[in-house]
Parts: sequence; structure tokens; C-alpha cells
Amino acid sequence: MKILHFFITKIFLKRWILVLSMVALLFLANSLSFIAARSIISTFQGYQDVAVFNQEGNFIANLDPDHEAKFDKIDVKDTQKLYDYLNDNYTYAFQADGFGAVLDNEHDMELSFSYINEDAYRINQYELSEGNDLYFDYQVDENQIPVLVGAGLASTYPVGSTIETMDPVTQRVVNLNVQGVLEKNTHRSNFYAPDSKNYFNFAILLPVNEQFIQRAGLDLHVNGLMDLVLLDSTKEEAADLNEYVQENIGLKLNFFSQQENFDYFEAYYANSIKIICAITFVLLVILVGLATWTTLTSVRLMIKEFTINLLVGLSYSKLRTIFYSYFGMLFSVILAVLFIVIAFNRYGYWIRKDAVFATYGLFGLISMDWLALLMVLLINLMIGLTIVELTLRKIKRIPISVGVLQ
Amino acid sequence: MNRIMKLKIQNKTFKQKGFSILNDFELEIQPGERVSIIGESGVGKTSLLNIIGLLDTQYEGSYELFGSAVKELSRNKLAEWRNQKIGFVLQDSALINSLTIEDNIKLPLLYANIEKNPSAQKHFERIVQKIGIEPILKKKPLECSGGQRSRAVFARAVMMNPQIILSDEPTASLDSKNKEKIIDLLFEMNKEFNTTVITVTHDLDVAHRHDRIITLEMKE
Repeated sequence: MKILHFFITKIFLKRWILVLSMVALLFLANSLSFIAARSIISTFQGYQDVAVFNQEGNFIANLDPDHEAKFDKIDVKDTQKLYDYLNDNYTYAFQADGFGAVLDNEHDMELSFSYINEDAYRINQYELSEGNDLYFDYQVDENQIPVLVGAGLASTYPVGSTIETMDPVTQRVVNLNVQGVLEKNTHRSNFYAPDSKNYFNFAILLPVNEQFIQRAGLDLHVNGLMDLVLLDSTKEEAADLNEYVQENIGLKLNFFSQQENFDYFEAYYANSIKIICAITFVLLVILVGLATWTTLTSVRLMIKEFTINLLVGLSYSKLRTIFYSYFGMLFSVILAVLFIVIAFNRYGYWIRKDAVFATYGLFGLISMDWLALLMVLLINLMIGLTIVELTLRKIKRIPISVGVLQ
Repeated sequence: MNRIMKLKIQNKTFKQKGFSILNDFELEIQPGERVSIIGESGVGKTSLLNIIGLLDTQYEGSYELFGSAVKELSRNKLAEWRNQKIGFVLQDSALINSLTIEDNIKLPLLYANIEKNPSAQKHFERIVQKIGIEPILKKKPLECSGGQRSRAVFARAVMMNPQIILSDEPTASLDSKNKEKIIDLLFEMNKEFNTTVITVTHDLDVAHRHDRIITLEMKE
């Protein structure tokens, strides 16, 4: 420890520009690795989330990107007719998120409502930290509506409490009864871009039945169509529905299986991710190369210091330990800075009251952040191993008797 | 008399440069002996000193030092002996410029883990007083004269009271006055502690002040 302290204070830090250059290069390498690793983990997690819909007979609707939709021409009577048709002829999973509402809560977040029907709820199997599952056979006009609340609302609206609020889609005052609390960081991944997620920590999950759809306005009807999932269906039935939608409300939808969505993602977005990963890898190699070059240059400049120490009693194995400890400290500092940046970024969602992205985690970081940091740590181990062993090789190649007189 | 070292070298080969030196070389030295090594440039004087000083173990042959076969010693043991049993007196530039003269001299104490030891501190004070470098202790090497730096290098070499002092051209860059001082200091150590002194030099005056002169010659 004394020898390490001596080397850091009396030798390495005497050439602080080299140390700073090294820290900057390693920080860049770490940041790039982190971004790439987290994107991969998030995509993988998203794939797992939406994989429950990847079943034979499931077809997921989305608005045809080439179709010019005229939403202002759509009438709620027509959309209601469409939902009646759906109820009579199809089994479908329905979930529509992102309807904002203002409700008191200890974090002053703007809440969002997520509307979900029974089939979507059954398939998603959201985990609860307390309380009971939703039920769907309530009467909108007569009963309180059972809801689940996100973890961020659990203390303001505990299980059993009642919430009186203006429902954003029915535009009427409703009484909601809290049935249960969703696990922290419950989220929904996008069907078409699995790396993108909405978090439900500040959401109210409201069960949708036929009666509720009848009371709801055009917003829910149209939004609900965008991610509608036909269950136990066929390609022909999906095509029939598409035809019906086009005739009655003038929207052109595409119905793809989740596998087709995955294929689409892989054809467009996954390629982008692969390109980003490839660029990251190339940049990483360049940065590690530069870091190694900086170290080897430092060795050339400090060879006298190293060899004099070797002359008076330092062994190569101790020198190796010193280098590993020194780089261990550098990487620890860099990882700590990276950690602070990530934590501050996560905390930023809370400061900005961004309910969709506010998350809970150990020291503010969620599991994918920690996993990505772990990957960065492994990459650092490899970088450290490469740099230290190359440095030692370089030092050993210079005879001590020559080095001391440099 | 017990010998302090016995060295038998078949050859020391520099593969990259494609030549070998010290072919069939043998050397035995007794404790307290003063030996100088002379010879033309490139004959292997410094290489021999590196082998004797445990800085180089890549050669064909055997080397017994303090009764142990060097090739059987671990790298850590070699480093420990370099720290505690062997002192190196090199040219005046063999100091770390970013450290003060005091820190340079005390460097071996760090590796012996005795830098805070009161007796080591006392020993340090005695040496710097004897060598006469107290006024420059807080200075950096580049702020000192060549003679002062040479004395600092000498002080560092004797900090651990080594059994052998190896000198490689210790007076090469010094004027005659400073040259005499360094050689006097070397022989005072030899006299006081029975330290073995081995000096590589080009200077025949310096060589002749030793008990024995070994002349290395190029092999035809």
C-alpha cells in the first residue's frame, strides 16, 4: 500500500497530463460500452416482454405508415360500431396507455391511465406487490371501478382506498377502488421497437369491459386500435377486420404476427443496433489503442523511475501489482463517475416529473443499468489486463542498467 | 576464506544482435575484496555487473551468491537481495528527477519497509553527514551539481549497509576532485564494514586502487 501510494503520488501524478488523458480515454470507452450494452439488454428484455404475444393465431394491428389517416373524419358512432363488431366476432387483447390525469400524489407526478381489457391483462400477467388482481365484470355506472396503481402511488392510494377523479377518456367523474399495487418498474415494451418501454410506476391500470368502451370517447377507441391484438385468429379473419375498419372509419391497419414484427424490427432497427454496436466496437478498439499508446508513451517517459525502483528492491511482480492496483483505481473512479451520470439521468425523470420514465432502483439505477455496468466492468478487466501486460512487457524489454541512466 | 560469490559463465548470448560475450568466464570473489573490471567497450563489463548484481539471469552457466544458486531464487528473492545485500553505485544521472535528493536516497528503505524506522533514520543522517550532502537533501537532482548527484547515488547505494557494492563507471562524468571523493567513500565502506567492492571502469588510475584487476578481452 505504501509503495502504491508512493508510485501514485510521486511518480504517476507527477505526469498528470498523461493521467488525465488516460482517464478521458477510458471514460469515453466506458461510456460507449455502457450505452451499447444497455441498448442490447433493453432490447433483449423487450423481446422477452412481447414474446408472450408471439403465438400462432395472434395478429397485432398497427396503422399502415403509407396510409394517410384522416382522424378528424372519424366519428365515435363508427368506432363504437367497430368495437361491437369486434366483440361479436373476435377475441382480442386491448391496451392503450398514456392518458394523462392530474391527481394528488406525494411526488407531484402527472399520472397516466392505462386501459386494459381482460385478455390483455391475462396475457401480460403483471406482478403485484400487494392486493388482488383486477376483475372486469363491474358496472360502470353503478359500481366503483377496480384499478391497480403503480408503485409510486402505493402510499398515496393504498389498497382499498377510493380515488374520485375525472376519467380522461369517458370525461366523467368516476370512483376508482384500488385493488392492488403493481410491482416496482412494471412496464410495457413496444411491439415494434422492443428496446422502448413505458413504465407504470405512476400509472393507474383501469380494466376495460364492453360497457366501459361504450362510455369511452373517440381517443380511447382510436388509440386502442393501434396496438390491438387479435387472438386465436387467422390471416383471413385479420384481413376481413382490416377491410371492415377501412370501410367504416377509413383507417388502414396492418395485422402482423409478433414474429413478423420481430422480423420487421430485425430488418430495420436491429440492423441499426448492429451498426451502432459495430461502430462502438471500432471506437472501443481505437480508444483502447490510444489508451495503450498513452501508457506505453508514459513508460518511455518514466522508464528511469521504474528501473531505478527495480534496481533498489522493487520486483517485477510487485510492479505488476502496482499497475493493476493503479488501473483498478482509475477504472473505479471512472465507473463511479459513470454511475453518478446514470443515476443523475434517472433522477432527471423524477425532477422533470416524467411519469412514463420515472423508475425505482438501487441507488437510482434499474436492473438493466446494473447489468450494463457489469458488462462495462468486464470490458474494463480486459482493457486493464491488455494495458498492464503490454506495459510490463515493454518495461522488461529495457535492461535495468540502461533504463536507470535514461 | 569463505567466498562471497562463484560465477561460471559459458556464454551470455544476445540473440537479436547475434553475438555472445563472456565465453567460458569464471570469477570467484572473497568477502571484503576490492575488484576492478576493465576492458574495451562492448566486451561485456556492464553485462557482467548486471549478472553479478542479479539484474540479469539470462545466461548459460552457474552463479552462486551468498551460498545460494541464483537461478533457483525467485524474482522476489532477487529483488530482496538487490535491496538489502547489494548496493549499486552508478553515474550521477541515476536519480529520479521528480523526487528530492532525500527521497531518492531513502528509496531502498521503502522496499525494506523500514522508512519510518528510527534506526534507519539515524543511519540515513549519519551517511548524509559523512558524505556531506545535508544542504542538498531538499533539492531536486537537476538543481544539484554532478558531484553532489554522484554522492547522492552513493548514499542510496549504502543506505542498506550492503555486503557488495557494484560500481559502474561511478566517476565517468566527474572532475578529478569529485572522482577521488567517491573512490575514497567506496574504500571507506570497504574498510569499515568489510564490504566487497566491484568496480567497472575505463579509468586505469581508479582500477589500480583495487586489490585485483580483471581485464575482459574480446574473443577472436
